[in-house]
Amino acid sequence: MSITAETAKAHAHDPAVLCCRAEGGITIEPANLEDPAIFDDLVDSGLLNLDGCLTIEEVLGAKLAKTCDSLCPLTADVVEGAKAPSAPVEEAAEEEAPAPAVPAVSAPAAAPAAGGVLKIHIGEGKDIDLEIPVGALGGGNAVAAEVPTAAAAAAVEAAAPAAALEEKVVRTLTRKHFKITDVKRGPETKIEGTTLYIREGIEAEVIADQELVKDFHLEIITPDLYHTYSETIMDVQPIATKEGDDDIGCGVTRVLDGVVMMLTGVDEGGVQIGEFGSSEGYLDENIMWGRPGCPDKGEIFIKGNIVVQEKTNMERRGPMAAHTAFDIITQEIRDVMKKLDDSLVAETQELRQVRRPGKKKVVIVKEIMGQGAMHDNFILPVEPVGVLGARANVDLGNVPVCVSPLEVLDGCIHALTCIGPASKEMSRHYWREPLVLEALHDEEVDLCGVVFVGSPQINAEKFYVSKRVGHTVEMMDADGAFVTTEGFGNNHIDFASHIEQIGMRGIPVVGMSYCAVQGALVVGNKYMQYMVDNNKSESGIENEVLGCNTLCPEDAVRALSMLKSAMAGEAVKAAEKKWNPNVKSSNVELIEAAYGKKIALVENEQSLPMSQKRKEKYD
Amino acid sequence: MNDERLKYGDKIIYMEGVIVDVDDCSISIDLKGRLGFLKAPKRMFICDTEPKVGQEVGFRMSFPEQLGPEINDKYVSNIEKERRKQDEMRKRLDNKEV
Repeated sequence: MSITAETAKAHAHDPAVLCCRAEGGITIEPANLEDPAIFDDLVDSGLLNLDGCLTIEEVLGAKLAKTCDSLCPLTADVVEGAKAPSAPVEEAAEEEAPAPAVPAVSAPAAAPAAGGVLKIHIGEGKDIDLEIPVGALGGGNAVAAEVPTAAAAAAVEAAAPAAALEEKVVRTLTRKHFKITDVKRGPETKIEGTTLYIREGIEAEVIADQELVKDFHLEIITPDLYHTYSETIMDVQPIATKEGDDDIGCGVTRVLDGVVMMLTGVDEGGVQIGEFGSSEGYLDENIMWGRPGCPDKGEIFIKGNIVVQEKTNMERRGPMAAHTAFDIITQEIRDVMKKLDDSLVAETQELRQVRRPGKKKVVIVKEIMGQGAMHDNFILPVEPVGVLGARANVDLGNVPVCVSPLEVLDGCIHALTCIGPASKEMSRHYWREPLVLEALHDEEVDLCGVVFVGSPQINAEKFYVSKRVGHTVEMMDADGAFVTTEGFGNNHIDFASHIEQIGMRGIPVVGMSYCAVQGALVVGNKYMQYMVDNNKSESGIENEVLGCNTLCPEDAVRALSMLKSAMAGEAVKAAEKKWNPNVKSSNVELIEAAYGKKIALVENEQSLPMSQKRKEKYD
Repeated sequence: MNDERLKYGDKIIYMEGVIVDVDDCSISIDLKGRLGFLKAPKRMFICDTEPKVGQEVGFRMSFPEQLGPEINDKYVSNIEKERRKQDEMRKRLDNKEV
């Protein structure tokens, strides 16, 4: 396939290879050259050797010395009058230098691999047809995070209008923290000092609440019981309530510190709700402590194990009934919390939704699961992470729902959470969403809001919702956008489509997802230039450790600086063909150097205890 | 996870199957030619229209290869626990029905 003059310009410093047979004496034009995007696979499979190959800019306009066959690399001995190479454009752009190079197309996710087979027809001789599976080797299109150039901060500052417009506090949210150090069972649900009592016999009400709930057990897991066997963890939720008639996202929220709700479940046949890839086993070996969605070490879990009617574990009503019934207990605690005296408040925290007129306006698009069953989320309940008053995003047709950043941090999402423990965003994740917090606090950007969009099962519906996302972001007049998703699978199709819809409107988009090895993107487009990988696992896999590969503050920092670079028009290097964890570390170093601050990286599964037997075997 | 341990990892073949069951979170596929059965989360299945029983699907796969003779005790213990629990719960369910 020959290339256009434009492609030739973009790939000026890439190797020049003939796309088809060319006669000696011709002047080399872009039309004679092959697209460098396919070279990696050909080199990998040994069909192409690029040693000594001249670059495209060197050979354009030069004369071909002798007749060459297709896919012949142009070396000095077959080209007459090659130009001298120019220095490749330095991509580590200085402050305001707008990158002169055309931004490199995101190589890994590019379409060529999607086509499946590269057909080369050699007309001369014996009519040989070659079929080379493009991407058969690196097939997965591994997407590694790309490199943002340094000095992003300075560039964004320079780009912002000099007239400093005043910050505007749109609304505030006060979080009153109540410390809990002990959880016990008692005759009634109450909080005395720092002890929470849960009424004995409350289990019967949980069972009676939903027809599908057949049995229920409540366990209090204190830190000394962390080494306890547990069924798959379905969700981790904060215990919080609104004061008076306050709506989610404003007013006052009361929250218990030191204790979380944890839901697990099976069906009557003993099959886990949400079978496939579960984190059952010993709690301390299966939880990545301190992730935004996970419990922190030292916290007490109020763990409920729900048994739903046989075979409803794979139906939508099963997980829904489990979540709804479990909320009976949380609601009873909430009712008690409402009556607590203010003297028990351990800490008061004020979250402010700040708009910064004149700064680059950014929006966060969070793709949430909407394929059905536990791939669903209750949006905007009356109480933080409650059930009452909420609408399931599947019922809403998965269309974009705009919320304020404070609504996100106040528990507007009750996640039924999908499978794949390492990358699922549980309800608590939204309560402590790092990207929202980071963007809200960053004085260089103006976070205008958060858009939740569901990921439907069917492609037609995926494109339906992603077009709505495009229009939603367009009418916001945003200067930049983040698109995040959880897990991997067919949700990457709409993830790519969201980025395309926003990108085609001229808005730079940073995409965030777990990709690495197993979650490599299945599709890509030219707008997917700025990608941040949420992977933390050592080998880039779904490691079955709860919350391990979810979005963390370090990812939020990387995404923000990448978006700033993109909005400032700086070039971001294309990703490597295969996942390379070093890309992340070098990016972190670049950001640390540009901002002069240390970015603390979170630990991964290697920090967890291994059972004695495993240790003997593998260490 | 390193695929270097695979000896035949590059032997990718085109496979077809028939959807035999669809629920809210998974699809089940009988591989054509009596070559097995596959159940996968719906999220890992790509479809233009609603998946229905009887529809044909295609994909590429190679052969699952044993990575070594070692047995991971963690998985064994989980499987045993799971099986015991399912037996117990099934008994209870059967008693209830009687």
